[in-house]
Amino acid sequence: MFVGDYMTRHPLTVTPDTSIVEVQGMMAENNIRHVPVVEKGKRLVGLVTRQNLRLSPIELSSLNVWEITRLLSGLKVKDVMVRGKDVITARPDTPIEEAARILVTHRIGCLPVLEEGILVGIITESDLLTQLTNLLGLQVPGWRATIRVPDRAGEFAKITAAVASKGWGIDAAGSLPTPRKPGYWDVVIKISAATRDELVAVLQQIEGQELIDIRATGP
Amino acid sequence: MQTRFHPLPPILKVENLSISYATRHGEVEAVRQVSFEVNRGMTLGLVGESGCGKTTVAFGILDFLGPNGRIVEGSIKFQGRELIGRSEKELRLLRGDQITMVYQDPMQALNPSLTIGEQLAEVLVVHRGLSHAEAWRRSTEMLERVYMPDAPNVMKRYPHQLSGGQQQRVVIAMALLNNPALLIMDEPTTALDVTVEAAVLDLIEDLKRDFDTGIIYITHNLGVVARVCDQVAVMYAGELVERAPVKALFAHPLHPYTQGLMRCVPKLGITKEASRLYPIRGRVPAPQDRPRGACIFAPRCDYATERCRNERPMLQEITPGHSARCFYAGQIDPSAWQPSEEIEVPAPGQRVAPEHEVVLHIENLKTYYEQPSRSVLSLFGLGKKQYVKAVDGVDLRVPRGITVGVVGESGCGKSTLAKTIIGLESPTAGVLQFLGFDISMPVTRRDVQLIQELQMVFQNPDSTMNPAYTVGQQIARPLQRFKTVPPQQVYDEVIRLLHAVRLDASYYDRFPSQLSGGEKQRVGIARAFASRPELVLCDEPVSALDVSVQAAVLNLLLDIQRQYGTTMLFIAHDLSVVRFFSDLVAVMYLGHIVEFGPAEAIYAPPYHPYTEALLSAVPIPDPCATQKRIRLEGNVPSALNPPSGCVFHTRCPRRSMLPDQGKVCAVQAPPQQWNTEQHYILCHIPLEALRKMEPVITSC
Repeated sequence: MFVGDYMTRHPLTVTPDTSIVEVQGMMAENNIRHVPVVEKGKRLVGLVTRQNLRLSPIELSSLNVWEITRLLSGLKVKDVMVRGKDVITARPDTPIEEAARILVTHRIGCLPVLEEGILVGIITESDLLTQLTNLLGLQVPGWRATIRVPDRAGEFAKITAAVASKGWGIDAAGSLPTPRKPGYWDVVIKISAATRDELVAVLQQIEGQELIDIRATGP
Repeated sequence: MQTRFHPLPPILKVENLSISYATRHGEVEAVRQVSFEVNRGMTLGLVGESGCGKTTVAFGILDFLGPNGRIVEGSIKFQGRELIGRSEKELRLLRGDQITMVYQDPMQALNPSLTIGEQLAEVLVVHRGLSHAEAWRRSTEMLERVYMPDAPNVMKRYPHQLSGGQQQRVVIAMALLNNPALLIMDEPTTALDVTVEAAVLDLIEDLKRDFDTGIIYITHNLGVVARVCDQVAVMYAGELVERAPVKALFAHPLHPYTQGLMRCVPKLGITKEASRLYPIRGRVPAPQDRPRGACIFAPRCDYATERCRNERPMLQEITPGHSARCFYAGQIDPSAWQPSEEIEVPAPGQRVAPEHEVVLHIENLKTYYEQPSRSVLSLFGLGKKQYVKAVDGVDLRVPRGITVGVVGESGCGKSTLAKTIIGLESPTAGVLQFLGFDISMPVTRRDVQLIQELQMVFQNPDSTMNPAYTVGQQIARPLQRFKTVPPQQVYDEVIRLLHAVRLDASYYDRFPSQLSGGEKQRVGIARAFASRPELVLCDEPVSALDVSVQAAVLNLLLDIQRQYGTTMLFIAHDLSVVRFFSDLVAVMYLGHIVEFGPAEAIYAPPYHPYTEALLSAVPIPDPCATQKRIRLEGNVPSALNPPSGCVFHTRCPRRSMLPDQGKVCAVQAPPQQWNTEQHYILCHIPLEALRKMEPVITSC
């Protein structure tokens, strides 16, 4: 689970001399919000986001409509982009949770992925959220069961043992500390091999655990 | 699992692209209103006969159209940005960084005076500004990535020291070093052997997955399309006539042209009936002769109506993702198609009757080439002589009126065998008899009558015709030389021969440069048959031709053979063509015939392990057929120093079937095991074990 596996390879890019009007067109047409700026050899020199393209209301109020048009048509990417070392980047071997942390702490939406200064891809919030859905098995149809377990070693093994004893497989699994209830964890597992009743029967038998939700999910 | 909730923009989006060239005849439209998209990790096959504008489209994307070509209209969007109208400087940056192209001939793409390593590293040093050491390290890694054996050493070699398949791997590695978003491959495997081709196609599959590259794959080979492409765009005379996912295209071809193409391709079917070929009549019109305001395919179409001749059809979507440029798309049932009278399809040749008189008798034939030794002793004539054993102990009996196919990779001695029979090479040892006469002397010392009875059709019709002589003169020459007909009848006979190869009398005064490839090969055939020979050697007669032309030439050869009762020795590397054409097939490896028998027997178990590997490498024009995946390691070993024992043991994938990992194969020459009266296999593995093997190809 590294950035290199989930990033978008061959992202759309622009050069410092591309006009702002063209970048706006590209973003609108392809429904994207971030465009890395590269020079020869795909070396990253900056990043343009929709925020960069926005004019501040103060600036706007002082201009008339013709001046705005002129201002826009003369602007180049290099005039508005986030420059070189101010761009926060990731590497293909950055773990995805680390990438998520960077995005959240810096309040940004994407990380260009670099390999020795060369742009090899881009990873965005959407990519990471997509992988969250995969992590919890949204892409396969089946039963999503939430089990509340005490915070001690061996509890997860009980679940896997119970499921394995029936010959079913676990399609996806994830766990988080239970909110507002210290000492417990919520485990979500996704199983497609069993029927709802079979699954409920097996999961309810596990000692010390509580089946708090079961529902069908899928693409 | 890489699932996305919002689709990524296509890497390349071509819309309504028209390209024209300025010529002496004015502006000629080579490509007309072509549209397609290429996505990440997807291969788009661009298919069609030559002259249909496939390469022009590729060059249009790269802006390599030359001084007289220009894009008339349309849009090419690469990575969301319009390419048309960009400055030369910007385009050059894009091409080097994000779009690369792999050409047909790898030797022409490599610099012969630089080592592989220098050429690869240069890409990274120039485009990426890496240090030389770092570039060298990455280049070596990339060579390993394309499964190049012994990559660190290959880096130090020069292009000519590599085989064709290895050279193509180097070119592909070079194209991928920059991690391009779009890779354009123009017939990258056409010049390669079938076994090498299979390995390169496997590689392309892997790379597409790992690098998420969009690939445009230009080819005329439908078998290759079925194997590597996800989407297919069929081009005809500069227009896109059909666009579909690969499975849909092969299952339900909608456009009559696509249906016609499918009928031209020999299939490796179990029955001969299934491998019948129906050429598309006529040929691709030159750009200035294309119908305007009408369906471009109408002149060759069996379903054409008045509407097709007066109105141009638009590309319409028939089922989701599957479009065709035909008014009647979806209404035509290709299985109900009947050949029109204009196409005569001869039934494939008759079966072998053992009582046929033997025309060509070859026994233990050896043709060695002496290799100059580098040792000092050899200067005084004392050095040990070395020989390239091109043909090493071949036995072959060719009955009258029968076609014997010879298959094998390049370097297996197929052509040397033909050259020895025709008298261009002298045999080193063995018996070589034709009609009971010894023909082991060179052609210059042969009797004229003998030469008359033994003719040849060559692979490349371009280089075997004198450009200064008209077609008539070329065909008349053997008639005069051999006095086949009295001098006053020569002209009539030439015209008759021209008709026999489906060319009309107007071709008499044409020069070779005024003919298409298929027409030239027809003239070559007419010339070979002019002296009414007993035996005709065909050395890859159709491998340089387009599929529809290939079908026509093959049918023509069959027809003429039936008419004259000629015996043929048919050399080819394409196993489906040989299957279609031959009664008996000989599989050659390193100068030996390793399997020999009737065509059906060769294409079903028991196989020689080499035959099995060859069959598993043939690209089959059917995306749902399953094929065993057997890939031979390395290249054909040097005939200078062939492996001991069984010559195939160094590459044999089935050796482990024998005890001791096939120790016996390296020591002892394999026995000739007779499966039936006419079918033998040269192998140590018992026939019973070979019989139990699964067939290589199972169709669905």
